[in-house]
Amino acid sequence: MFGSVEELQKKLAACDYLTDRHVATIVYLALKLQKPLLVEGPAGVGKTELAKVLAQATNSRLIRLQCYEGLDEAKALYEWNYQKQLLRLHVAQTQSKDWEEAKQDIFTPEFLLRRPLLEALSSEEPVVLLIDEVDKSDEEFESFLLEILSDYQVTIPELGTVRSNHIPVVVLTSNSSREFGDALKRRCIHLYLDYPTFERELDIIHLKVPGIKDCLAQQIVSFVQVLRKQRLKKAPSIAETIDWARSIMTLGSKVIDEEIVQGTLSILLKYQSDIDKVYNKVSSLLPEK
Amino acid sequence: MEEKILEFGRLLRKGGLNISFSQIADALRATAEVGFQLEDFYHALACTMICEKADKPLFDKMFRLFFLTLPASQYDRVNGEGQLVSTENTGHIIELARSAEGIGQGRGGGASPALLLVKAVQDGNYSLLNQLAQLAFKSLGNPKREDLANLEQLIVQAKVSIGWYEAVNRLERIREKEKVNEITYSRWLECLNYLEDRIKELLEEYFVITFGQDALEEIASAANIREKEFYQLNNIEIDEIRKRITKLARKLASKYARRYRRAKHGEIDMRRTVRNALKTGGTPVCLRYRKKKLSKPEIVLLCDVSGSVAVFSEFMLQLVYTIQNRFRSVRSFLFVDRIEEVTNYFHNEDIEAALQEAFSKAYFSYSGFSDFGKVFTIFATKYLNSISPKSTLIILGDARNNWRSDERDFLKQISENVRKVLWFNPQPQSTWDTEDSIMKVYAPYCRQVFECRNLAQLEEVIEAIL
Repeated sequence: MFGSVEELQKKLAACDYLTDRHVATIVYLALKLQKPLLVEGPAGVGKTELAKVLAQATNSRLIRLQCYEGLDEAKALYEWNYQKQLLRLHVAQTQSKDWEEAKQDIFTPEFLLRRPLLEALSSEEPVVLLIDEVDKSDEEFESFLLEILSDYQVTIPELGTVRSNHIPVVVLTSNSSREFGDALKRRCIHLYLDYPTFERELDIIHLKVPGIKDCLAQQIVSFVQVLRKQRLKKAPSIAETIDWARSIMTLGSKVIDEEIVQGTLSILLKYQSDIDKVYNKVSSLLPEK
Repeated sequence: MEEKILEFGRLLRKGGLNISFSQIADALRATAEVGFQLEDFYHALACTMICEKADKPLFDKMFRLFFLTLPASQYDRVNGEGQLVSTENTGHIIELARSAEGIGQGRGGGASPALLLVKAVQDGNYSLLNQLAQLAFKSLGNPKREDLANLEQLIVQAKVSIGWYEAVNRLERIREKEKVNEITYSRWLECLNYLEDRIKELLEEYFVITFGQDALEEIASAANIREKEFYQLNNIEIDEIRKRITKLARKLASKYARRYRRAKHGEIDMRRTVRNALKTGGTPVCLRYRKKKLSKPEIVLLCDVSGSVAVFSEFMLQLVYTIQNRFRSVRSFLFVDRIEEVTNYFHNEDIEAALQEAFSKAYFSYSGFSDFGKVFTIFATKYLNSISPKSTLIILGDARNNWRSDERDFLKQISENVRKVLWFNPQPQSTWDTEDSIMKVYAPYCRQVFECRNLAQLEEVIEAIL
């Protein structure tokens, strides 16, 4: 798929996703070793985005499974389309078929609702399977996932075994709101995405907010970077930096000062307690001129 | 190289990382894929071997020592580096450091390194900090192999030799006087941390280079935070343990939930089964079960917060309050030689804030020296009436009574009025009943006495109350 780490890094950059070399190395390894990639890190550093871009860069379809509490096999793997089966039986009744025959009819692929996992396994073309926020799912689901991820096949009792043609690229993301079992951790290649460095974030701002003056961008990024070092409930993410930069552009300011920051703080910080904590300290947190 | 990677895995296991064989196999495949260029090689190993972010610092350290330092095990190299510094350096620092070494204290004689340190921190001059680290390291001379066991002490010595504490003092004063803002101050702290880490690194490198594999293994086991004694922890490690306790708490919470789910029902409920069987003409088609009750103990914590025990008490409080919903009720008391209830502070959600508030506001110390006898007396007379007889009373303390009266009758009275008394002692069992420790006087009134010196033991002990 990719010959080298550099190639991958360039492809990702071409899709507007800037990464450090080490991130590219790890992604490259996950692709080469054909292992699931477990991406962890604080909210808003581009975990989900990485999977999307990876799909774009490899020209494959992205299949997304969003995890939530109570997610089960029926929603993740497959389900029989019960209503459709009932209708079919109604029709069959009028033709007075016996049960054996009718059964042959209703448990066919036609009545199967493919959920993301089965879809990824049975796909003809290469796919990137994004399992988003695995930490939100239950433990039972985790162990079920483990089975699928270890041999990339699934057995449907009525139909037989579905084996994947291409081993899909699997990306799991997590905000670590729950601990995973050791078994799942061991199966994966680990990537910890952290907040970007100053230079990287500056590049990102320039990329996503075209037309921003370099000195303003620098001020914005350095303020956000300082803010992240404070003890906050939720530190501002990259997405929030971008939003903030956009809104400051919209306000038409050339520089950021205490007043502007205080006025727009709610874009960066999402908890009232965080805002209260920072509000009066803004001037001491601003970069020196 | 393959052998080296296997060896490295073994070393990490020694350091407390859980590394499976399949992970090592992956690491081998991964390194074969990216080659041995240092940075790629590092990431290939890291992404296959590190399961948790918390393990990264240890991994980094071991990687550095094992792959970079160990192969260069020629003693000369250290000296070479040292000389490099001294030529770069203006000679007088070395002179001063030598005189400081002569005095042995460094505070009086080594005023200049302290000033240099202050300047380096203020300017954020990392190359100067680096030189200071070298200087501090050199002041130790050539530590012996046995000294490795007292690494922390060596670091303190090294810090003293460059006037660390004086410099910190000065910096604090400057901060106050010149109203230094938060960013600058945090930059200062970064500098100081860097210096301290650097000294430690130099020392570890020295030991590995001089004494080879053997020393490396000792460093690995010393880094195993789960086995580290609570009273030996430094601030960074305390933070680390806090995080791990939060994790442990989450794990405990979900673990019990799962077990409870799997064996949801208890014994067969005959009455309801027979009643139900009437529907099917007397054949018990469906069995009915009694619901299994999840036992929810009531907990009363008595926490000694004197001296070295305080850290342990803090961990325990944090753990218990994080899994609060596993208990019917939790009441907590702090004591040194007085005792006061602090349960109310913890109604606030934020455990860390609550801990701080409790420690600063509660009245638990009169003289500053523990007095278990007095504490039990007060507890028995003042609080015992309000304690439910079904509760489990847990005493956290070292049973060092400072040769005061033990008042064992009051503990007896307490133990008769609760379901059971457990005692968690954070000191090594070998030191119980030595000096002023009177564990054996109190032990007869406790259902069990546990030694609880490190995180690994804390994990075991917590099972006893769940």
